[in-house]
Amino acid sequence: MINEMLLNFAHWLEAQSYSQMLVAGYYSYSWLEATHVLTLMLSIGSLFIIDFRMMGWMLTDVPASKLAERLNKPMLIGFTIMFITGALLVYAKPVETVQSLWFRIKMILLLLAFINAWVFNARLKAAAGSWDNDAVAPKAIRIGAIISLCLWCGVVTLGRYIPYDWVDCAITNNTTILWAAGCVDQLQALQ
Amino acid sequence: MLNSMLGQYRRTIILVVVFLLIAILEVLEVRTTIYGNSLPFFEWMKNSSWLGIIGTTYGSVYATIEAVHLLSMAVIGGTVLATDLRLLGVVLTDIPSETLTRGTHKVFRNALICAIATGIFCAAGVADKVYYMPVFWVKMLALVAGGCFVFLVKQPLLNSMPHSEINPWTIRLLATTSILVWFTVAAAGRWIGFS
Repeated sequence: MINEMLLNFAHWLEAQSYSQMLVAGYYSYSWLEATHVLTLMLSIGSLFIIDFRMMGWMLTDVPASKLAERLNKPMLIGFTIMFITGALLVYAKPVETVQSLWFRIKMILLLLAFINAWVFNARLKAAAGSWDNDAVAPKAIRIGAIISLCLWCGVVTLGRYIPYDWVDCAITNNTTILWAAGCVDQLQALQ
Repeated sequence: MLNSMLGQYRRTIILVVVFLLIAILEVLEVRTTIYGNSLPFFEWMKNSSWLGIIGTTYGSVYATIEAVHLLSMAVIGGTVLATDLRLLGVVLTDIPSETLTRGTHKVFRNALICAIATGIFCAAGVADKVYYMPVFWVKMLALVAGGCFVFLVKQPLLNSMPHSEINPWTIRLLATTSILVWFTVAAAGRWIGFS
């Protein structure tokens, strides 16, 4: 049901002239993709510095909350650019993207990463002041940092998998993968 | 003797000499000869080296190593931006730039080693293609320039004295050059994928 809805929505997006323009333009799609990837340096680069500090791997002589607070703005600027360019990349190739298993898992990891970031920030604020100058953050915050590092490594890795066709609808016959990837037509053909 | 004569400009002079040598080799067309002679090495990398064989046989391994390469570049970018934007007075202004420069360098160096190692693997899988791409050679030259700049100029200068004693324009120039060089490395790498 949800797969059909998503596919119909993707077909509707793909029929729009702006979507076709983004793919047809000689450089537009490449520029979008390049901006999306290069902004990693600002967003995930800043995020990893914060996580590494919490783990006691770098800048242990800088107060942790101060570092997190100061890097928050460039990190958010980076993520905003990534989300805008990411949304435009999906808009340019909606049907292909909606039926990508890797894209779907990436979205789940992104959601988990944001929930973790929210919990992490709440814990950071609750513990403010008590450990700021310690080389290593308290265990609860370190766990949050490790989860954040793992989730974002997963997001980047799955993003890298999207262009590969190992489990594309046209290639696989595994019904579980076809269902998980939302390959509606192929599933109907098999039934 | 030589050290005392050249003083604090020793590394700068060495770097200028290196660039002059490169310019002379370019005029003598040595570079194009080296490029021509390196084709068999690139073909061997792709077809016979175990890096090339793994890269071309196992697509998932290749893609995963590519992701590690990207993550390393993200860490390089993060440390470069944090340090250089601090030197330019844009971010983290209430943290001493000496602390930041010293504290991020080890992570930068480790990420650079990781990026180079994974980059060699990625290049080996498509060695016969990248050899013919001008953007690949731009990336390699930018990488060498970036490495020389960081390890021979930027770090030695920033670690040699308190930053308040260095001419502010020198610091701004260092930070801007560093951002531009590493941006060129990353952007050229991204462009290899489109070529």
